[in-house]
Amino acid sequence: MSAAPREAAGPLLSVSGLSKHYGGVRAIDELAFSLPRGAVLGIIGPNGAGKSTLIGLLGGALRASAGTIQFDGADVTREPAAERARLGIGRTYQIPRPFLELSVRENLLAGQYALQPLIARRQAIAASDAILERCGLADVADLPARALPLLRRKRLELARALALRPRLLLLDEVGAGLVDSEVGELITLIQALAGELEGLIIIEHVLRVVRECCAQLMVVNFGRKLAEGATHEVLASEQVAAVYLGTAHAGAVTGAAAPAAGTLGGLVAAGPEPAVANAAPLLELRGLHAGYGLARVLNGVNLTVHAGQAVAILGTNGAGKSTLAGVISGLIRPSAGELRIDGVDRTGTAPHLIARLGFAQCMEGRRIFAPLSVEENLLLAAGRVGRSERQQRLDQVYQLFPVLRERRTQGGTSMSGGQQQMLAIARALMSRPRLIVFDEISLGLAPLVMDQLYAALAALRAAGLTLLIVEQDVQRALDLADEVHVMEHGRIALSGTAAQVRENPVLRHLYIGTAD
Amino acid sequence: MGPASISAAASAPPRAPPGFALSLALLIAFAALALLSGWAGDYVLELGFRLLVLMTLAEAWNLLAGYGGLVSLGTASFVGLGAYALVGAMNRGVPLALAWAAAGIAAALLALLVSRAVFRLRGLYFTVGTLALAEALRLFMVNYQPFGGAIGLFLSPDAPSLRGLFLLALGLFAVATLLMQLATDSRYSILLRAVRDDEDAAAQIGVRPFRIKLLAFVVASLLMGLAGALQGLKLGAVEPYGMFGLQWTVNVLAIVVIGGQGQRLAALIGALFVVSLGEVLAAYPALHLAITGVILILVIRFAPQGLAGWVVLLWRRLHHGSQR
Repeated sequence: MSAAPREAAGPLLSVSGLSKHYGGVRAIDELAFSLPRGAVLGIIGPNGAGKSTLIGLLGGALRASAGTIQFDGADVTREPAAERARLGIGRTYQIPRPFLELSVRENLLAGQYALQPLIARRQAIAASDAILERCGLADVADLPARALPLLRRKRLELARALALRPRLLLLDEVGAGLVDSEVGELITLIQALAGELEGLIIIEHVLRVVRECCAQLMVVNFGRKLAEGATHEVLASEQVAAVYLGTAHAGAVTGAAAPAAGTLGGLVAAGPEPAVANAAPLLELRGLHAGYGLARVLNGVNLTVHAGQAVAILGTNGAGKSTLAGVISGLIRPSAGELRIDGVDRTGTAPHLIARLGFAQCMEGRRIFAPLSVEENLLLAAGRVGRSERQQRLDQVYQLFPVLRERRTQGGTSMSGGQQQMLAIARALMSRPRLIVFDEISLGLAPLVMDQLYAALAALRAAGLTLLIVEQDVQRALDLADEVHVMEHGRIALSGTAAQVRENPVLRHLYIGTAD
Repeated sequence: MGPASISAAASAPPRAPPGFALSLALLIAFAALALLSGWAGDYVLELGFRLLVLMTLAEAWNLLAGYGGLVSLGTASFVGLGAYALVGAMNRGVPLALAWAAAGIAAALLALLVSRAVFRLRGLYFTVGTLALAEALRLFMVNYQPFGGAIGLFLSPDAPSLRGLFLLALGLFAVATLLMQLATDSRYSILLRAVRDDEDAAAQIGVRPFRIKLLAFVVASLLMGLAGALQGLKLGAVEPYGMFGLQWTVNVLAIVVIGGQGQRLAALIGALFVVSLGEVLAAYPALHLAITGVILILVIRFAPQGLAGWVVLLWRRLHHGSQR
């Protein structure tokens, strides 16, 4: 593939002086880099650094305010997205945007028919099915894309981009939310693609992917290039550790410590109450079964959460974690079993009534209200409380996530993926809940932000909030939780304190998989 | 991912009922009706003509709104233009066949002309834009004397007999059925629905949204123009309030929404239902409107896939009883 018959071997992609301004905000500021033919470039940076904006500029979804983009020697800066795609630039969306009413296979056929209107139908279908097989979607080819859960939609993003037969592929956080064994599969796939395509640009927070797939790495911060070079050198640099990697990886002390528990006390409904020996548990699930149509997802889950506890639910994708979160929020009605809150049976209670009992959700995929501004998203969750109370809560969540204050008038979904995640958490806090269910909150966050987030969660727990954390990031979850449950095939397969579970070899086998 | 694919066969959705076959069956039934001249009195032909014209318009609108996501409130513009073009051309001595074709082409050209402007708008804005176009055109026709102003135009040559008109409408519906078959069960339909679901994402995989939408818009407008021309021919006189009136837009919208947007059978089922309802309640026009409104609300609330959605469901139950 890399045998380029074209004029000499200039870079495949060459970007200079690229800028994108939104009003006064410079999302991308005078960025310049080039991608040699056959290269794989990784791009990392804090949330909101402008990484997804860069993908949008390269793919043509966004129009550059200044600068030029040259692809294969031709200036494509002014070309619309469709023309760039036809030239061979494929991209994925960080938050998947499949064609919901089309079948999964049709999602791929669309690209093929657009490019080759006269291709034989059988050939197009065979090509699509081969890509679906490769991306692990062969079993759902005939289902409407709407039926796919978030992580499979992410796979569809990749599959759909591949159906274009791109020469240059731009991947925007395709590794987010995968457990280690799946990350291993993804790395194998990307490495294979690297040999087939003429160029790859990978935006990723999963550092294993960056380390194992990208020879070159560029760090972006505030829309500018902060560092560039060989991956291992860039990752080792102290500057990068300070803005991106944080304590867990480099041992550097980060300046942005989480607020003290005292300031967060106001965000939690009931402070640590004097323990009453026979008090009913805040949440209790007994023999819970649930599913979608004929698919049984939960098969008899028993779970008890006491006020003030931090409980983590771990498990592979498809183990039933998000369904469990859905049942607890009242969105999914269990087919059997009991859901008890404060000792009262609430099975089948509507979601808004469960919310009034002091339960809040931070749902997988963020679910920010797109037409509303950041502040409106927050106020909506506050419900009917007095003006001063509302303002007080706003101030408190803004203190937790200062960037939200800066962006308060902006559209909720116009922010970067990581900022939207912060908004989702802040929104859950606005109802002054007793318990929050966090479903995959670390998905798509820079390591440094994850550190801050988990510091915030620890502070919230100290302030008396009960936390139920559904998480892929085992290490962080174990560090925070008092009690850990590991789910497998819709059941809780292993329970214990964080220390017990950490030592248990079953966990390694169940969850970490065989990869390192 | 090998073992996971075992469930593929079981989870594959059953095929939808053959809309094309049903349309054909209906066409043949209508043709037989026309041939049984003794039995088919004027009332039946009259009703059949109205049904065929409305079904054609509904097919066209369903292509736009149901498959393309282009919810247009501009139906009346194309119907009206078609009617005026036919009457104008025939009055100048153009033979019927040519005048009819010219009417369709005029409507298609209007679509081409306004496409740049209306496609700049998306979603609700597109809808409002087409409504503005329709109203502007109606006001223009009311005030522009060379086209007869508020009085309109009278058709000088003799119109065909009712039976002739019915056969023309039958032919038109046959063309509409064929075009819809090409547009909805083809690779073009995949592109059109992809643009409907997410225009930006479609562009990112190389689909040119403007061209895809334009083709649907032009084809739908052509059909609307041809249908409007037939209506003008039948009336023998066209005036702006009737031919460019909002009731065309609203009727067609009601038919497709009740029938089921984006469902292949929407036009058939919706038109049969709405026209039958109109006949049953012919003596109570006010009640008719109110009941149609209530049914629209009920369908939107309880059957977003429309009556056709129910039929499809029923069909699947019958043919795949084992599914559940």
